[in-house]
Amino acid sequence: MHFEDFSSFLDMGGYGLYVWLSFGVTALSLLVLWLDALFSKRSLLTQILTEQKRQARIKAATEQSATAEQSATAEKRTNGETT
Amino acid sequence: MWKWLHPYAKTERTYHLCQRLLPWFSLLGLVVILVATVWGLAFAPMDYQQSEAYRIIYVHVPSAVLSKSLYSAMAIAGFIGLVWQVKTSFMAMIALAPIGATVTFVSLITGAAWGKPMWGTWWEWDARLTSQLILLFLFLGVISLYKAFEDKQQAGKAAGVMAIVGVINLPVIHYSVEWWNTLHQGATIMKFDKPSMPAEMLWPLLLSILGWALVSGAIFLLRMQNEILQREIRRPWVVDLANKNAALRENK
Repeated sequence: MHFEDFSSFLDMGGYGLYVWLSFGVTALSLLVLWLDALFSKRSLLTQILTEQKRQARIKAATEQSATAEQSATAEKRTNGETT
Repeated sequence: MWKWLHPYAKTERTYHLCQRLLPWFSLLGLVVILVATVWGLAFAPMDYQQSEAYRIIYVHVPSAVLSKSLYSAMAIAGFIGLVWQVKTSFMAMIALAPIGATVTFVSLITGAAWGKPMWGTWWEWDARLTSQLILLFLFLGVISLYKAFEDKQQAGKAAGVMAIVGVINLPVIHYSVEWWNTLHQGATIMKFDKPSMPAEMLWPLLLSILGWALVSGAIFLLRMQNEILQREIRRPWVVDLANKNAALRENK
């Protein structure tokens, strides 16, 4: 260990402000970059599932409306024939 | 090279390769960077001219070295994407850009914090400092150009061209301390002569450069995976992956 005690370690020979400013900004920047990547991966994976559910809903809805339309036109045709 | 590269042009394989490499880079990088920082801050000897202030070197030099390496990597990825039309290569390019920008920003901030006690000023418009600032703007330019296009293949092409043109700045940064009169000192380790630094100071420095490279690698792997997920959001393999991930988290 180069320093005698903890306070001289913090003081850095009078240059404490500059040294700790540098190391602090560095640690903070790298941490933010890393956490941002981690959290965006997590949110992307949930986003994929919501997107998949939305697609499934759209598919189901179009199918339903298609069958409904079909039956409606079929009904109209039979009605037209009776009158 | 094409034969070697081709399988990785498929996004699914690249994603799984990233997943396999990720724990190694993350753990190793974290350990190496912690050891190097503690060593540099608390155990390395004092500099006879700059006293304890020189310890800023253990974050300043790795960030500066990495900023140039990351720029080169980004430009190479852009070049491969432009020439061979590899989609994943553009993804790698844009995954690297924010890491490079952050690292360049750190090198400027730590440089300012070192310049104040040693040169008496936070900032000076001299060759080394200005060219490094231009490097930051180049990174930001590549990011914003990529974001400006809706079509990501088009975006990759435009940003790729900008990244390649910006390479001209790299030799300018490196030789700026020789070409112009500058406050910044000359090269200490990146030269053909023996490094002008005692071993007890040099080892933690080399170790911290390695640690920074590994951590940048880990962040790159994560960002690359995110790029792939974003672009392939409706592919069956991506949906399967998300389902598996959700199931895994429910079990926990």
